[in-house]
Amino acid sequence: MALRIVKNPHLHFILFGVILALLPTVGRGMGMKTSTLQTLGFMLIYAIVALGLNLLLGYSGLISLGTAGFMGLGAYLAAYFQDDLKLGFWLAVLAALVIPILIGLVVGVISLRIRSIYLAIATLCISEILLKTFEQLEWFTRGTAGKQSRYPTIFGAQLDRNAVFIVIVIALVIVMMLTYNMVHGQMGRALHAMRSSEVAAQAMGVNILKYKLFAFSVATMYAGLGGALYLFFLRSSYPTTWSLFMSLTMIAVVVVGGLRSIYGTVLGAFVIYAVPELFLKKLPVIGGIAGLPYIFSGVLIILVIMFFPNGLKGLADIARNLVVRLRARTAAKEVAA
Amino acid sequence: MDLFVQPLLRSLETGSVYALAALGIIIVWRTSLVMHFAQGSMGMFSGTAVAFALNRYGLPLWQAVLVGVVVAVFLGFAVDFVIIRRLKRATSVGKEIITLGLIMVFLGLAPIIFGTDPMLLPKAIPSGDFNVGGATITYNGVANILVGVAIAAGLYVVLQKTKIGLAVRATASNDQTARLMGIPTRTVTLFSWATAGVLGMLAAVMIAPTTTVTPTFMNSVQVTALFACVLGGFQTFYGPVLAAYIIAVSSNFLKLYVSTVWGDQIMFGLILLFLLLRPNGLIGKTYMKKV
Repeated sequence: MALRIVKNPHLHFILFGVILALLPTVGRGMGMKTSTLQTLGFMLIYAIVALGLNLLLGYSGLISLGTAGFMGLGAYLAAYFQDDLKLGFWLAVLAALVIPILIGLVVGVISLRIRSIYLAIATLCISEILLKTFEQLEWFTRGTAGKQSRYPTIFGAQLDRNAVFIVIVIALVIVMMLTYNMVHGQMGRALHAMRSSEVAAQAMGVNILKYKLFAFSVATMYAGLGGALYLFFLRSSYPTTWSLFMSLTMIAVVVVGGLRSIYGTVLGAFVIYAVPELFLKKLPVIGGIAGLPYIFSGVLIILVIMFFPNGLKGLADIARNLVVRLRARTAAKEVAA
Repeated sequence: MDLFVQPLLRSLETGSVYALAALGIIIVWRTSLVMHFAQGSMGMFSGTAVAFALNRYGLPLWQAVLVGVVVAVFLGFAVDFVIIRRLKRATSVGKEIITLGLIMVFLGLAPIIFGTDPMLLPKAIPSGDFNVGGATITYNGVANILVGVAIAAGLYVVLQKTKIGLAVRATASNDQTARLMGIPTRTVTLFSWATAGVLGMLAAVMIAPTTTVTPTFMNSVQVTALFACVLGGFQTFYGPVLAAYIIAVSSNFLKLYVSTVWGDQIMFGLILLFLLLRPNGLIGKTYMKKV
């Protein structure tokens, strides 16, 4: 019984969340800079968005290049509902979740009926359209001048930076649990079947289009949520943030972290977002180069696909296998002795 | 009359740019089965090399373009030789993600090698214009249209009438059988990447005078070229070229007569709707997937 509780993955997620939530208080005691906390917050937002993309890419093998667009949409919707319409935090989040899904569904229904790769092209196009919209729809986004916002008020309490960080952690834990349940439920079995052979899955009565659409909607929803959190954390949004590069970074997070791995995705977010921000920029000589994070992520994507198709999770598996094998060998030696 | 011929000529000019970029994507797709998302960024990189040679070393444009050709061919060779060729086991999605990684690499490399200042690239023919039925078109515009059409036609002839073209088409239709027939498919693929690189560079050089040379100046070309491939269908080499001109013309007319701001958005929406009716594009054959 006790073992079952210890092995419960949901408890692990909550424990993981508690540790993360303690970071601002513990970190301040240990002299952590505010900028480090900021970086970690954005890293967790990246992890949330990448988890959705991981479901899409890892299980249905679909690429979405519209992540940045949907994130931006989520961010601007949250700002519009919270600051312009004064509807409060919850409605702002709800809008940031629902409206991107609706747009995503329309795009998905059209492009997924044809061929998988068309989703990538269609979402790339939607992302460019949204980016242009962000630049030109002044009443909604304030154009290139940037939309300013403020920390949200939840249940009458005015949040500050640390509180928003904890909100992000809570959102991440919920998203991790949701993803875990989806993957291990009936949905997950269908997705697994599709991954090994679409034709076989179809023959077993799995509606491919339905599940692909579902995976894409989840990815869009997480992107919208990530966008809203991004806005609440940074308190502003500029169109330049939501460029193709953001979408590519998300794909890098998924690929480097390892397909179909929940903790791997968080680790991927750390490697792709936090490592350049916290470490690479401080390196002498090459640290000052503006394009360095781009090259870092790009080269990592290529290397991972070429040599470690399972990403960081794959590396962890290899290490675990080694340990198991070593143990078996020493055990065998002991028996022989 | 003026409101019809003038935008038509302007569209043919940009259509050539899209057609060249789309041709690069389709050649890579046909020979390596990779959706080449980095076509725009590689074109951007070698295009920036042209601008760099011109601005920094004061080379005349034609010599700078030669430098660009060398850079583009080298990049194409390098990408295929170092990465794509070694990916025999990777899935097609993996290969596509690789080209996405390439976008990031070139986006990051360009400012490091060529500096962060935006550069300008002059027109090939600086001044002078024709008068066609009340509308004017610059000599440079005519040159762009001619170059686009000539290259598309030239490639068509090479692909359909020569032995090299036969090798490319054989590789495109079935890589394994082609190899059994003694076609050096690896060399074919290698040169396809190089050709795609040169086409991307030319597209960059042609579009550059209308904007400034920055790491993102080819983004819209990339998106439009991909859409030209989708609209034209991935099965033929001339479909995307035709689609590129159609997209350029309809984009310009939508901007002129419907909305300057939302013209492109409306057009992309229309293309998506069109795909509902004809999923394989204008000149698409039915796509069969083997179990």
